[in-house]
Amino acid sequence: MNDQEKSSGQEAVLCLENICYTYEDGTEALKGVDLNILRGERLAIMGANGSGKSTLFLTLNGIHKPASGRVLFCGGPVDYSRKGLLDLRRKVGIVFQDPDNQLFSASVTQEISFGILNLGVAEAEAQKRVDQVIEELNITAFREKPTHFLSGGQKKRVSIADILVMDPEVIIFDEPAAALDPKHSAMVDEIIDELSAKGITVILSTHDVNRALLWAERIVLLDDGRILSQGTPEEIFTNEALLMRTNLEKPAILKIYESLCDAGILSRQLTLPRSADELQKIKRGEKLSQIKRQY
Amino acid sequence: MFIIDKLAYSSKLRYKNPAVKAAFAVGSLLICVGARSFVISLIILMIMGGLTVLSGRISVLRYFGLLMIPFSFLALSTLAIVFNLSEQPLNLFNIPIGTVYLAVSQNSLREGVLLVVVALASVSCLYFLTLSTTMIDLLTLLQRLRCPKLMVELMMLIYRYIFVLLDMASAISTSQKCRLGNKDFMTELRSVGQLLAVLLIRSLKKSSLLYDAMESRCYDGEIRVLNEYRPAEMRDAAGVAGYLAILIVLAVIL
Repeated sequence: MNDQEKSSGQEAVLCLENICYTYEDGTEALKGVDLNILRGERLAIMGANGSGKSTLFLTLNGIHKPASGRVLFCGGPVDYSRKGLLDLRRKVGIVFQDPDNQLFSASVTQEISFGILNLGVAEAEAQKRVDQVIEELNITAFREKPTHFLSGGQKKRVSIADILVMDPEVIIFDEPAAALDPKHSAMVDEIIDELSAKGITVILSTHDVNRALLWAERIVLLDDGRILSQGTPEEIFTNEALLMRTNLEKPAILKIYESLCDAGILSRQLTLPRSADELQKIKRGEKLSQIKRQY
Repeated sequence: MFIIDKLAYSSKLRYKNPAVKAAFAVGSLLICVGARSFVISLIILMIMGGLTVLSGRISVLRYFGLLMIPFSFLALSTLAIVFNLSEQPLNLFNIPIGTVYLAVSQNSLREGVLLVVVALASVSCLYFLTLSTTMIDLLTLLQRLRCPKLMVELMMLIYRYIFVLLDMASAISTSQKCRLGNKDFMTELRSVGQLLAVLLIRSLKKSSLLYDAMESRCYDGEIRVLNEYRPAEMRDAAGVAGYLAILIVLAVIL
C-alpha cells in the first residue's frame, strides 16, 4: 500500500478497512480485507472460484454490509441508510457475470432505462441517455429484439449498457469474458479500454493471466477471503512462489521472454513486455543495436 | 406458445399501435360472441385470418396449424352437442341403441356448427392480437389501461424468466439424456422429478441474484422503465372504428 501512495499520489475512490463478511449459512467469505482503490485505476482481482471476488464486489456497492470493518467512498464511510445506499450505487456499478441474472426485462429499451429512471431522471432526459448508450455500444441493430432472442455477446453488451447509462464513477466487471466467444470478448475488452480512457475506475475479476498482464495497472490476488498479495502485473507474475500457491499460470509472453533471455537471445530489460507486440519491439531493438555494434 | 411469441416479433403489424390492435381484436371478439351469428362469425374469421396472414406475413400453413390446435378440442366437445340421447327419434337421423336413440336434430346440428364457427372466429381474434403484438407491447398497454402496477411488473418478470427457466430445463434434460436418464419409463419419471427439484432450487437462487443485480441499479421496490409506445395512426384507428361499427350494425340487422 505504501508503494501505491508513493507512486501515484492519487486519491482513493473506494477504501476497504479490515472487511469481514459472513453469509447466512456461516460461510466466511471475506476475512479481513484491506484495499485501496484509486480513482481512475485499472484494477484486476484474481483468485480461485470461491476466493471471495463476487462477495467483495457486492460489498463495494453496499449490497453486502460487512460484519466488521469499514467501507469508505471518496473518503467518507458508507452510509447504509436507503438514501446513502442509492447514492453509493449510482456511483459504483456492477456488470454481473451472467447477463441472465441481470436482465429482467424482455425489452432492451426497458432494460437499459431501469437504472437511470431509478436515479429520478425525467423520462425525456432518460430516453436521450438510453439512445446515446445504445448508439455507443452498437446495440442499435438488435434493440428491437426481445432479450431472449439475443446472443450471449449481445446480452453482455446490454448488461454493460445497463450500468453505463447511470454514468458511474467506478464500474466493476465480474468475469466479463465468461462464456463469450473471442470476437465478443474482444469487443467487451474494447469497451473496458474506452471506459478507462475516459478516466472511469474499472475493477474486473478474471482468470485470464494474459489479459491481466496486458490490461491491469495493479493486480490483487484473493485467496480464501484474504488478500494474498497485490502489486503491478510484473511484480505478481514474476513471483514464482505466489503463482504456485494460487495455481496461476505465468503469462505466455513472460515465459517466452524469459526463455529468450535465458538462451541469451535477448538481454533482460528494465520493463518487461506485456504483449506479443512489446516483445517484438524488444527483439527489434536488440537487433538494431547488434547491427550498430557490428559497424 | 413459443412459436406464437416468435411470430409476434416478426409480424409486419408489430409496430402498429397496440391499443388499436387490441380494440380491433377484442371488439370483434365481443361482437362475435355477443351476436352468435353464423354470417358475422364467418366475416370475422375471414378478416382476422386474412389480416394475420396477408398483412402480418405469417405463413398460411402455420396459421392453419395454429387454428387446428383448438379445433380438435372443439370438435370433440361439439360432438356432444350435436348428438343427443333421446327416447323419441329426432328429425335428422337416429341410431337406435337398445331402448334409446343416439339422435341428431336439425336444431342440434345447427347449434353444433354455429358453435364451431363462433369459437374459431373468437380464436382468430385472439390469434390476430397475439400474432401481431409482442408481450412487451401488451404489458405497456395494460399499464396504460391502469392495470395494477404490481400485476404488470409480475407479468413482465415472469415473461422474461419463462425463457431463462426453459433454457435451464432443457440444458438439464439434455445432460440427463446424455447419462441415459430416459432409458426406461421409471428412470425418466425419476429424472423429471429431479429436474423439477433442481429447477426450483436454481430459480430461487436466480431470483436472489436478480434481486441483488436490481438493487445494484438502485431498485426501490417499483420497476420504472421507458416504454416504447407508438402513437396510433389516424387511418388505422378510423378504419377499426368503422369496421366495428359495420359489424355492430350487421349484428343488429341479422
